[in-house]
Amino acid sequence: MTSTVESTATRAATPAAPAPSRLRRTVRTSEFTLVALAVIGFVALTLTTDGNMLSAGTLAAFFRFLAVPMIIGLAQMVVLAIGQMNLSVGVLTGFCAMVAAWAMLEAGLPAPLAVLGAMLLGAAVGLGNGLLVVFTRINAFIVTLATMTIIDGLRYGVNGPGTYQDYSAGLEELGQASLLGLPVVFLIACAVAATVWFFFARTVPGRHLLASGGSPFAARLSGVSNDRSIVLAHALSGLLAGVAAVLTLAQSGSVNATIGDDLLLPSFAAPIIGGVALAGGVVSVLGTSLAAFIVRLVDVAQAQFAINRRWVDLIVGAVVLGVVLSGAIRTKLSRRSS
Amino acid sequence: MKPEDTTTPEQPRPPARLPLWANPRIGLVVLLIALIALFTTLRPAFLNTQLTLVPMQADISVYAVVGLSQLAVLSLGHMNMAVGRMAAMSAFASGLLHDRLDAPLIVALAGGLAMGALLGALAGLIIARTGVNSFVVTLALDFALIGLVSLLYASFTDGVAFNGLPAGMSALRTDTFADYCAGDLCGPPIPLLAPIALVAVLVVGLLFRWSRTGREVLMAGSNAKAAELSGIPVRARVIQAHALSGLLAGLAGFLLSANNGAFSAGVGDGFLLPSFLAPVLGGTLLVGGAVSVLGTVLGTAITQVIYKGLNLLQFQVDELKLYIGLVLLAALSLDRLRHVLAERRGVPA
Repeated sequence: MTSTVESTATRAATPAAPAPSRLRRTVRTSEFTLVALAVIGFVALTLTTDGNMLSAGTLAAFFRFLAVPMIIGLAQMVVLAIGQMNLSVGVLTGFCAMVAAWAMLEAGLPAPLAVLGAMLLGAAVGLGNGLLVVFTRINAFIVTLATMTIIDGLRYGVNGPGTYQDYSAGLEELGQASLLGLPVVFLIACAVAATVWFFFARTVPGRHLLASGGSPFAARLSGVSNDRSIVLAHALSGLLAGVAAVLTLAQSGSVNATIGDDLLLPSFAAPIIGGVALAGGVVSVLGTSLAAFIVRLVDVAQAQFAINRRWVDLIVGAVVLGVVLSGAIRTKLSRRSS
Repeated sequence: MKPEDTTTPEQPRPPARLPLWANPRIGLVVLLIALIALFTTLRPAFLNTQLTLVPMQADISVYAVVGLSQLAVLSLGHMNMAVGRMAAMSAFASGLLHDRLDAPLIVALAGGLAMGALLGALAGLIIARTGVNSFVVTLALDFALIGLVSLLYASFTDGVAFNGLPAGMSALRTDTFADYCAGDLCGPPIPLLAPIALVAVLVVGLLFRWSRTGREVLMAGSNAKAAELSGIPVRARVIQAHALSGLLAGLAGFLLSANNGAFSAGVGDGFLLPSFLAPVLGGTLLVGGAVSVLGTVLGTAITQVIYKGLNLLQFQVDELKLYIGLVLLAALSLDRLRHVLAERRGVPA
């Protein structure tokens, strides 16, 4: 059982392979490649740093800063599932974080309310994106490009260039807390990922969403409302951006108007490395999370060996390109062999 | 220039005259004039030649070319997420040629353009060969180039920029035609960058309107399969369109470097958003098969007028973004409304 969730429409479209053994089927999935890559990378990093990787501090930091990229990757993945894109995830995360911090510091709201508010705000903005896409029939790429620009302005408008800090001792404590040796923020991210997986694998709206992504026409003929799927996907994406905002608030301890600037490209990198098709209809929660893990490994390697920060981008770019190319080659080979 | 539509109706009938309101370009011109009138009444300094008009023309020149760079691949229904970094790599190549080999302006420019075209062709080659979505390929390329550009600048210069410019490049930055006089007759206050951009606009416009290659690119964008069956070498056209995009990105990088007064690593950082804004405002679709070069220029002009105008009204840089986004949304919704109305009246718009 892999966690790639596919719409039935997409699955029906791929020709049935002559039933290879279960093991070979598992080995051939892109998740398996990613797991192998993640394990090899992790072990290599542990060996080359003389076990420094396994020290409690390093390990905790590794997982703590994995949480946000994971959630952001999922936020993008949800929209990719219907074959659309959401360019506003990064700035939306920053905007929600700034508004929540403002609510706690300037409006004097208690932290739980602010956290809830941040998530609701994210969902509301996402809902707005979805409604705009549905009612104007303009390409989601363009709609979210426009809302990205707008939210960017709003995000700056919350506090100008200023920084918010010391907003909530409780929230910051949560950001530093650990459970069973793993940071709580990471565990929250895992719980969210599991929920997203459940949504796509086991719930009716989730299946409808994938059906719309796999083939809008077939979905419509089967009585699925594509418009509802679009609105739902965008709202969910916004909600996840809100969750990422809360995690950012918890782990960083201070936020300013640049939060989220560096999240847009990674938000695409994780699902794409993780094997999510841009055409829609396929999602992979495990793949996306593993991809975020691998990118994080590259990040840590950079810090451990004091390599120029810029090598990370170069390597991540090369990895994305490599994964995409190997995927294309694999399809070509399997088509030839069948 | 109207959006070139490659779908031919079954029966060739005399093209119906579009009513004036159905032509999106007219709307853009009206909007542009209204905006200029608005800003001029609010701040008469908006028409100040030295402070506003000349820098604004230089900016329009740069960003029109940026928009065209994106338009070159939008014609296929593709995207180029790496425009900014292709521009940065081109600027690096130009800077390196001048810095190490003491190349004159024209050689540095040629080197930069070649670098851009090469990168574009590389992206096109990968897309054509593997059939992978252009968004993914150029995004990955962008990632890789972000890293590469900084690393290259770090190892070939003291910091993030080359010292010195080829002779003549600072003239491009500071001079207008008004500085060159023949007796009492001086040129108009147009920066020297403008004609370069104008040439790019004309070449791209002619390419997509009249040249065989350009028409074939549009056809490949409209329906790749039909194009392939009609004997169009679709793969070659994909590579060529991406190479053109890279070349124009390189030109934009050069123009911006001239405008900034240095070949630096930061060239192209802000290219991505305007590159989509201008063609989309101008009526170029993301689905491919139709482009509007004139619309792209108008879209660029509108964006830059808004930037400059709000700047004069002392809005913060980040507040500007809010209004640019709102204008984009409003313009697109109006365009959509126009489409619906046109369809209802049976006018092909």
